[in-house]
Amino acid sequence: MSPFLAIDTSVGTSVALIAGGSVLAEVNINDRMGHAENIGLALAEVFKRADVAPSRITAVIAGRGPAPFTGLRVGIAAAIAFAEGVARPIFGVVSHDAIALAELDGSDSTPITQAGASTSSQIGSQTSPQIGSPLLVTTDARRSEVYWSLYSGLDHHGCPVRIDGPHVNKPAELESILNERGLAPRLATASVSASALARVVERQMLAGGASQDVAALYLRAPDAVAPKDVSRTSKAVS
Amino acid sequence: MADFLIRPATEDDLVNVFEIEQVSFGTTAWPFEMMQTELAPNPSRNYFVATLDGEVVGYAGIGVVDGHEADVMTIAVSETHRGAGLGRRLMNRLIDVAAKRRAREMFLEVRADNPVPQALYRSLGFEQIDLRKGYYQPEGVDAVVMRLDLTPRIQDLAASTLQEPVVLGIESSCDETGVGIVRGTTLLANAVSSSMDAHARFGGVVPEVAARAHLEAIKPTLDQALKTAGLSINEIDAIAVTNGPGLAGALMVGVGAAKALAVSTGKPIYAVNHLVGHVGVDVLERGQVETPTVALLVSGGHTSLLLVHDLIDNVELLGETIDDAAGEAFDKVARLLGLGYPGGPVIDQAAASGNPAAIRFPRGLTLPKDMEKHRYDFSFSGLKTAVARWVESAEQSGTEYSIADVAASFREAVVDVLVSKAVSACLAHSVPRLLLGGGVVANRRLREVAQERCDANGIELRIPALSLCTDNGAMIAALGAQLVMAGRSPSGLGFAADSTLGVTQVHTL
Repeated sequence: MSPFLAIDTSVGTSVALIAGGSVLAEVNINDRMGHAENIGLALAEVFKRADVAPSRITAVIAGRGPAPFTGLRVGIAAAIAFAEGVARPIFGVVSHDAIALAELDGSDSTPITQAGASTSSQIGSQTSPQIGSPLLVTTDARRSEVYWSLYSGLDHHGCPVRIDGPHVNKPAELESILNERGLAPRLATASVSASALARVVERQMLAGGASQDVAALYLRAPDAVAPKDVSRTSKAVS
Repeated sequence: MADFLIRPATEDDLVNVFEIEQVSFGTTAWPFEMMQTELAPNPSRNYFVATLDGEVVGYAGIGVVDGHEADVMTIAVSETHRGAGLGRRLMNRLIDVAAKRRAREMFLEVRADNPVPQALYRSLGFEQIDLRKGYYQPEGVDAVVMRLDLTPRIQDLAASTLQEPVVLGIESSCDETGVGIVRGTTLLANAVSSSMDAHARFGGVVPEVAARAHLEAIKPTLDQALKTAGLSINEIDAIAVTNGPGLAGALMVGVGAAKALAVSTGKPIYAVNHLVGHVGVDVLERGQVETPTVALLVSGGHTSLLLVHDLIDNVELLGETIDDAAGEAFDKVARLLGLGYPGGPVIDQAAASGNPAAIRFPRGLTLPKDMEKHRYDFSFSGLKTAVARWVESAEQSGTEYSIADVAASFREAVVDVLVSKAVSACLAHSVPRLLLGGGVVANRRLREVAQERCDANGIELRIPALSLCTDNGAMIAALGAQLVMAGRSPSGLGFAADSTLGVTQVHTL
C-alpha cells in the first residue's frame, strides 16, 4: 500500500488519503471560508479515520486552483509543509481536473473507469479524447466571474484531457466564447474532491506525466495600483 | 581539538559517503545504488554526516518506525579521524533522533571479530541479544546483535524538552517569511525571505503581493533554517506560528504550513502573538525578558506601546496608533519627497545632512486635551498631511527648500512622539526598563533619542540585534519555547489566523 495524501482548498477544504484508486479516508468541509481553521483538523482526521501514520504516505498532492486567492494558498502551503515534514515528493494538479475526473469517470462513454487499468503497452501512447460534447467545468471566481476549463474526455490512462483553460471570464464572455466555437458542452460545477485529485495523479503517474509544479493558479493579478510617479520640481534641492 | 560538525546527510553527500563506505567495509560495502537509496529523502530513515571544515569524515544512519523501533543501518568514520570520539558522537545523535521519534528500542549488528565498536556500543548501553553465525559474507564472520532500551532516553528527553525544547517558529504576518529555530533560549537559525522589493513600486506593502510571496518562500525558507541549524525535521520538539495580528491572507499561509508540519511530524503546535514575539525575542540575547518592562514596537504595520508584567501571562496594551503605523508614515513621506521605498532607510539617509529643527511639524496626540483618551496612543496621519501641505506651499510660493531639512524635521517629529510617550509610560508605571522592537528600530535617530532620554531618566534601554527586531521566525520560536518550558498546553489544530488579535492574547489554544 502506498497512500497518497491530497489537499485541495480551491473551493472548500478537502483532504483525502487514497491508495491504489481506493479512498482510505476523505474529509470535505464545504465552507468556502475558514480554510486556515479547517486544514489542520481535516488533516488529523483523515489519518485517524484511515489509521495510517503520516510517515507512511508516499506522496503529497496539492490542488493548484484556480481559486480566488486566500483560501487556495492555505491548502498549497499545507501540502508543501506536509511533504517537507515526511520527506516525500509533492505533485500539483489543476483542481478543475478533479471535477472533470469525478464527472467523466464511471460514465458509460468513458474508456476507462478504474485506476490502474492501463497497461504498460499504453504508457506513452497518444491520447484519444472522446468524441462528442465536451465537458465544461466552472467554479466561482467571485466578482461576477467564473473560472472555467474545457475537457474532451478521458485519455487511455483515464486522465481528463483539458483542451482549454483554466481561464477566468464573465459568464457572458464565456457564453460568447462557446458560441463562437459552436460548442454546447455539458456543465459540471461540483466542488473539488481531494480523492478525485489524488486519482488524477495516480493515473498521471501511470502515464508518466505527473507534474511537480504546485504554483497557485490565481489567473488574476493582485489588486494593487502603483501610484503615479511623484516628480520632483527643480525648486527642491537636497 | 578538531571542530567536527554533525548534520543531516543529503543526496549531495552521496559520493563522499560512498568513498568512506568502500574504504571502511571493503568487500562487504554497500553497492552505490543501495547507498543512493538510503540517502534519498525517506521518512523512515535518518542519516547524518560528520564534517570537518566542510569535508565529510563520517556518517551514520538509522531506519525508524515511529513509536516502535530503530535499526542502525550503518556507521563509519574515515580512517584518519578515528579515535577522536566521532563514532560516539554519531551514535549519540542516532540515539537522540530515535528517542525523539519515540522508538522504544534500537538494534544493531556488529562484526564479532571487531572489539573496538563493540566496546563503544556497550558503553552506550547496548547489550548483546544474539549471535548470528557467518552473517558477514564472503568471510563468514559472525555478527553480534545488540539492543538498546530507549525508554529511559525517552523519559530523559521529555525532561530535557521541558528545559531546552527545540522549537521551529514560522512568521508570515506581513512582508517577511521567517522560519527560525531555537533550543530553549539559544538561537540556532533565523532564515528570512522578504518580499520588500515586490512592494517597492506600490510604495507600501500590498497584502495580496505579500501573501503570494509567502507561498513561494515557505519551502526555501524552511529548508534554509533546518540547514543552518544542522537539524532534521524529526529533531524538532515543537512548532510555533504567528496567528496574529497581521495581514489575514499572509498569516494564513504560515498557519496552514505550520498545522500541516505539526500533523506530519506529530509535534505539538503553539499559536503565538506576533507583537509579544517582538518582546520575547530578547530571551535569545539575555536568557530572559526582565519584567516588568515597557515595550515600544514600531514597524510598517504596528506602532504599539505595551506594558509587559509577565511575558507569557500578563501583557497589557497601553496604546497604539489610531491611524497609520510609524513605518507607514515613513513610506508615505518618502514617496512624497520622491525618495523611494522603503521609507525608513531612505529618509534616514536624506535626513543625515538636514536640520531636525528646521521645520516644526506637529506631534500627534500630545496636546493636553489628548491626554485623557490617548495618552499612549499615536497618530501619524496628520503629520504626513502636514509634510505634504508644507512641501506643496513651498513649491507654490517658489521657495527653495531642502529635502534634507524636511526629512530630518519629519523624522524628528516621529521619533520625538514615540520616545516621549514610551518614556512617560515607564515613569508613570515606575518601570525602569524600555525594550524596542520592530523594523523601525533600524532608524538611527530613534535609537539615539531613546538612549539619550532613557539615560536622562534612569531607564534601562534594551534594543535587540536588528535581525531580531525586524519580523522573523526566531522570535516566534523563542516565544513558543517559553510556553513549552512553562509547561503550557499546545494549541489545538482549529485556531484561526486573527488579523486583529489583541496583544493580551499571548497564546491561542
